[in-house]
Amino acid sequence: MRDRAKDFFTAFKSGQVSRRELMLGAGKLGLTAASANFLLNAAATRAIAADFDWKKFSGKKLHLLLNKHPYADAMIADLPNFKTLTGLDVTYDIFPEDVYFDKVTAALSSKSSQYDAFMTGAYMTWTYGPAGWVEDLNPWIKDPSKTNPAYNWDDVLPGLRASTAWNGVPGGALGSPDAKQWCIPWGFELNSITYNRKMYDKAGVKPANNLPELIDTAAKLTKDLGGPYGIGVRGSRSWATIHPGFLSGYSNYGQRDFTIDGGKLQAAMNTKESKDFHKMWVKMIQESGPKNWSTYTWYQVGTDLGAGASATIFDADILGYFMDGGDNKEAGNLGFHAFAANPAAKAPTPNVWIWSLAMNSFGAQKDAAWYFMQWASSTEHDMFGARKMDFVNPVRASVWKDDEFRQRIAKSYAGYLEQFDASSPGSKIYFTPQPLFFDVTTQWAETLQKMVAKQVPVDEALDQLAASIDRQLKDAGLG
Amino acid sequence: MEHTSGLERALRGVALALIVVFFLFPILWIFLMSFQTNEEILRIPPSPFFTPTLGNYAALISGKLTTVSGTLDIAFMRNLWNSVLLSTASVAIALVLGVPAAYAFARFKFRLGEDIAFTLLSFRFAPPLLVLLPLSLYFQQLGLTDTYAGLIWVYQLIALPLILWIVRGYFEDISPDIEHAYRVAGHSWWSTFTRIAVPLAGPGIAAAGLLAFIFCWNNFVFALILASADKQPVTVGALAFVTASGIQYGQIAAAIVLSVTPTLALALYAQRYLVEGLSLGAVKG
Repeated sequence: MRDRAKDFFTAFKSGQVSRRELMLGAGKLGLTAASANFLLNAAATRAIAADFDWKKFSGKKLHLLLNKHPYADAMIADLPNFKTLTGLDVTYDIFPEDVYFDKVTAALSSKSSQYDAFMTGAYMTWTYGPAGWVEDLNPWIKDPSKTNPAYNWDDVLPGLRASTAWNGVPGGALGSPDAKQWCIPWGFELNSITYNRKMYDKAGVKPANNLPELIDTAAKLTKDLGGPYGIGVRGSRSWATIHPGFLSGYSNYGQRDFTIDGGKLQAAMNTKESKDFHKMWVKMIQESGPKNWSTYTWYQVGTDLGAGASATIFDADILGYFMDGGDNKEAGNLGFHAFAANPAAKAPTPNVWIWSLAMNSFGAQKDAAWYFMQWASSTEHDMFGARKMDFVNPVRASVWKDDEFRQRIAKSYAGYLEQFDASSPGSKIYFTPQPLFFDVTTQWAETLQKMVAKQVPVDEALDQLAASIDRQLKDAGLG
Repeated sequence: MEHTSGLERALRGVALALIVVFFLFPILWIFLMSFQTNEEILRIPPSPFFTPTLGNYAALISGKLTTVSGTLDIAFMRNLWNSVLLSTASVAIALVLGVPAAYAFARFKFRLGEDIAFTLLSFRFAPPLLVLLPLSLYFQQLGLTDTYAGLIWVYQLIALPLILWIVRGYFEDISPDIEHAYRVAGHSWWSTFTRIAVPLAGPGIAAAGLLAFIFCWNNFVFALILASADKQPVTVGALAFVTASGIQYGQIAAAIVLSVTPTLALALYAQRYLVEGLSLGAVKG
């Protein structure tokens, strides 16, 4: 790095020059916007270099497995700073999300040492952890000789820390004192309402405050807008249909997937309250959902909102965030709204998806891999991603308090911060951790499809679902 | 009668036109999409009128996709090259090994001959994932993980049985009398094979080679499991445009057009070999 440029960016960090002066100066020095961002965070990176031997593994080489995602893009943009800081070389394989978890499962199940660390979701570690494929990270986090004293693990939002820790006992509470930290939260999404402000104004409606209201609002929008449909939610035969809006609303009615009695799990989808909730959900889709709802995944729900084919989604807040930018037709027209489905509930209870970093148990250089993981989840990198890239939602409380980040979001994304502040306290994983997670949720989605298609009445379908899941639990020795 | 025949011709023309439109419309629509921006593609209702842009192709070829949130690196041309390399090398090796083997199975009876041929065909029965996980363990021990050589070897599971069984049928259809006549004239077994049998089975070999190439080209899972990102074919590479922040339909369409081109060119080139009826009338009476 050239010294002049380095001094200039250090001056900006210490407040001696303004952002405008910085960018003008960077331009004069022949730096592009991309390299300016990299240099900007270089100053922050030098700041974390104090009091810790970052060069301990200098000269070694790490290999990562990454999913094609804005979080990975932000990390890659900042990676030269990590290399300079540690002297470690880092290479990575990046795969599209559609095939990413097949690749991870193949690499881990064949005990490959090819990858030192990789991206994962918390649900996946319920399989990887008990199988011995990923490391419990507590020994690293708690060891001052391995972790930078400024790392500040407690700064990571408590709901996320707990949601990525499990004791491996089916039905065991996430984040219990004996839980193992299978992965480190990196970026996350919670579920709320994103709506098209123009369409809402045109139809003269306000964002709904609970599920009965949402059913009415969506029906009115479908009727009045003459084209776009009222509410987009996922519907494909997959676990991914259950975990966003659906489970967030379900939990808000105080409903659970399982009850635990004497260490044994029992399906709880067929309570009276659950049946009532399912009836409302099914009615909402039948009246105001997309025509081919049963094929809907993240992509269709998002694309329809961005292209103006739907007026509302009850899905990940960051899906709405992405659709409110880029070259989407409705970019700039979207609004965000926290959502408590149950009229009697005090606050929203959004289920969360957490992109996290995990360490391969078969890797040969775990301490060096931890250097990467703690840097990638550090306040400095989180801050860089949140301010400069699309590293939203960041997982650290300190980043959410950062003025520059808040101003950037408030300026371009109407109501996003308010939505987040109202949703965040109740946000965590509401599933019961257990090894049959993917089987159970896929079957649940299949049952939803049958109910929406009116093949089976809701009451009967849920009784059948619960009976079938109970059988599977028994066969697996869990029920 | 003339009137009926005219009507029949007209109806036939309409029917043919409908069939052509039905089959070619998706391809035409993808071709048009490749010259549009995402916003134009997602218009409601869709429209065939737009201002064409070469941006999608430029992004794929330069490897840089400029979006509002920054510049993304795309490895699509590398994926395309990987597909060309893996498919061509795999089919070439499968031809070198498979054509003589097919000839042997067609012309000679030897111990366990049918069993060996059936075993080779049975490679096509097992679901690829069933084979791949144990295979990835062996590959690690042999040092073949993440190598082109390893992938080309695995691709033989696709190409070799196809070539062997198709070409065998062609050899069996050719009368052995021509070869006998050539042998009687004092030529060796090898020169009979190369000068008589192979040219006569040419269309069959071309058809089998083309089919094997298409199957290799369309394979998805072998490289995904056994190799790292820099050795992935287009089938995996094209998915990179489906991201959490949206689907880049324009680039996907351009990627499809680019990835279909080599196979299409090969099919057009091989067509003349496919239609040549070399063996027709070769044997009198």
